[in-house]
Amino acid sequence: MKSLLDIRANTQVKIVSISGGKNARRTLGQMGIGIGSIIRLKRNAPFAGPLLIEIHGSSVAIGRGVAVKILVEEI
Amino acid sequence: MKIALIGQPNAGKSTLFNSVAGYKSATSNLPGTTVRYTESRVRLNGHVCQLVDFPGTYSLSSSNEAEAEVTRYLLKGEFDLIINIIDASQLGRSLLLTLELMELGVPLVIGLNMIDEAGRKGITINHERLGEILGIPVQTTVASKNLGVRDLFILAKKVIDGRLGSEIKKMSYQKDVEKIIAELEGILTQKFSVSLTYPSRFLAMKMLEDDGFYKDVVISLNGDLLSPKITELQNRLVKLRGKPQDSVLLLERSALAMDTYSQVVTLGAPQHDWRERLDSVVMHKVAGYFILLAVLLGFFYAVFEVGALLEGYLIEGFDSVTGLLSGYFNTTSFIFHLTQSAIWGISGGVAIVLPYLVPFLIGLTLLEDAGYLPRVAFLMDAFMHRIGLHGTSIVPAVLGYGCNVPAVMATRILPSRRDKIIAAVISSMVPCSARSVVIFGLVAFYLGPLWAFGIYVFNIVVVATSGKVLSLLMPEVSPGMIMEIPPYRWPSFQVIRKKTWFRIKEFIVVAWPILIVGSVVLGLLEYFRLDAWINAGLSPLTSFIGLPAVVGTTLIFGVLRKELALIMLTQAIGTTSVLTVMSATQILTFTVFITFYIPCVATMAVLAKELGRKWMTMVIFLTLFLATFFSYMVHLGGAHIF
Repeated sequence: MKSLLDIRANTQVKIVSISGGKNARRTLGQMGIGIGSIIRLKRNAPFAGPLLIEIHGSSVAIGRGVAVKILVEEI
Repeated sequence: MKIALIGQPNAGKSTLFNSVAGYKSATSNLPGTTVRYTESRVRLNGHVCQLVDFPGTYSLSSSNEAEAEVTRYLLKGEFDLIINIIDASQLGRSLLLTLELMELGVPLVIGLNMIDEAGRKGITINHERLGEILGIPVQTTVASKNLGVRDLFILAKKVIDGRLGSEIKKMSYQKDVEKIIAELEGILTQKFSVSLTYPSRFLAMKMLEDDGFYKDVVISLNGDLLSPKITELQNRLVKLRGKPQDSVLLLERSALAMDTYSQVVTLGAPQHDWRERLDSVVMHKVAGYFILLAVLLGFFYAVFEVGALLEGYLIEGFDSVTGLLSGYFNTTSFIFHLTQSAIWGISGGVAIVLPYLVPFLIGLTLLEDAGYLPRVAFLMDAFMHRIGLHGTSIVPAVLGYGCNVPAVMATRILPSRRDKIIAAVISSMVPCSARSVVIFGLVAFYLGPLWAFGIYVFNIVVVATSGKVLSLLMPEVSPGMIMEIPPYRWPSFQVIRKKTWFRIKEFIVVAWPILIVGSVVLGLLEYFRLDAWINAGLSPLTSFIGLPAVVGTTLIFGVLRKELALIMLTQAIGTTSVLTVMSATQILTFTVFITFYIPCVATMAVLAKELGRKWMTMVIFLTLFLATFFSYMVHLGGAHIF
């Protein structure tokens, strides 16, 4: 299983699970990002910076610490 | 009549609020700008009603302070109606909040805002159908252009008067989950049917989500007698779906939201416009940082050029007034002294502060409203991590450049108390517009804009270092950044005008009188030779950092308003040509001291409120120490440079 960190930019993925803290899961969920969501990875920022994903047409920046906990599969 | 305006961050609540109430609530294209409630009395068709603008919230869960506060006030505030503002281009996600609001038992109206932007994204919404499914009247709006806003409030009035006969539909989850909710709801109503201030079904769902705030509510009513039962029901949910209990309800809600979404939305091809191409440059891994630097330098020079030009003309004008005055009065008389110091206060506000303040605020507003600041947060996240914070913490820090008070308040959007403390402390060290006026008016004006830019860069280094030290002292794994990057929006001329005026008005009614009174007080002190005592008392400090003893008084008054220090400086040394009295090193030392020392009284008050007195006192000592230390360094180093 790959985490969101291992995915290259401009790839569509489906979220399989979100491990770790309840708070992160909740915050993601509030933005419509949950298990089963289909998201597009827009970019990986430099210097270990955050990732940028697209969901339902809006952009969300996700820190690498959170991204590593999001397991996905490519579709 | 009491109406609440609620919606997710950046949905345009404050824009809508301002378009009916006049500019009262701070708006920007930055999620998390509003952290307090703004109330206003507005007339709707001849009826006076009280309108409350809520901070943006993604849901009614309580993952941070701002969110917990929203639900509390919403339920205790006795609202006749909730207007749920939805960003039409984010309908799917926004419905998650709507579904929760529907459980509160307060009448609802939906304002489907930014419908034009949805159109650009290729999203067509059948809003009548949406209204039917939810049982909530819907009105489409474009708040920034004031379209549909009037109709929205007419609709709201109709609902309050009961003239629409619409009834909020009960949105049911899947049967097995509903059964568990119903079981807990039954227990809750049976146990405390009288004392329950929250709707029982809503409370039951929050219990099942394991929401800390609501668990505390129930524990406060009943001790933890119910806790085993709740845990048992949560475990049943986990078993049913094979996912953590908080995810189960969220997924149920998402399913309902997506189901509704798919029934009302027709997706066309989104217009991939210049915004996407712009972002690929602005957020580029290399170019992005160059653009950031260019934007900041451009902003800086623009403010300075405009400010210096105006300051030159205005000071000349006021100097000639003072010159005329000496022709009428005896220059040693009490009257002359009094009038002269009053004029000094008045002219200081007009000739020294406003020339820089106005372009500074316009520039800041442009950056905010266009949506550049979240991109800065994105670019800075890696560096913020190095100092132990995540990118979201930069939102308060950036707001601090306008004014520290809202910046400290904005730390409420941070999830942990430790992050909040660090962010609030560093935000209070960011040079606000008042301190910027001092930097521009003294350093940029007399030593050149590059020196002033240097102070800003140096300040960023100090702020970052302080953040790092604090995070080492309070080790804790900071939760990662999860932040929405809103689309670029053209700043509207109307909004910029109103917003800048809103902030300038604050200067005119609050700060200016302080400047004038401060100048008169200083004039009196000088007349009765009392300032010598104060200056003598502060002379150990002033001589340590190599400043003339006469500036001692200004440092004290600067605590009230930082601009006051600048105005009083010219008054204390008796001329607006500062360079004739103070050396370049002394100007730099003075500015560095003013930039870093004790935040103004308003900031202290908000620090005490948000973090407690202990932290406020710590900030005072920390900043005093830093200011003295850095000014001393400038004093030592200046001799070699100038």
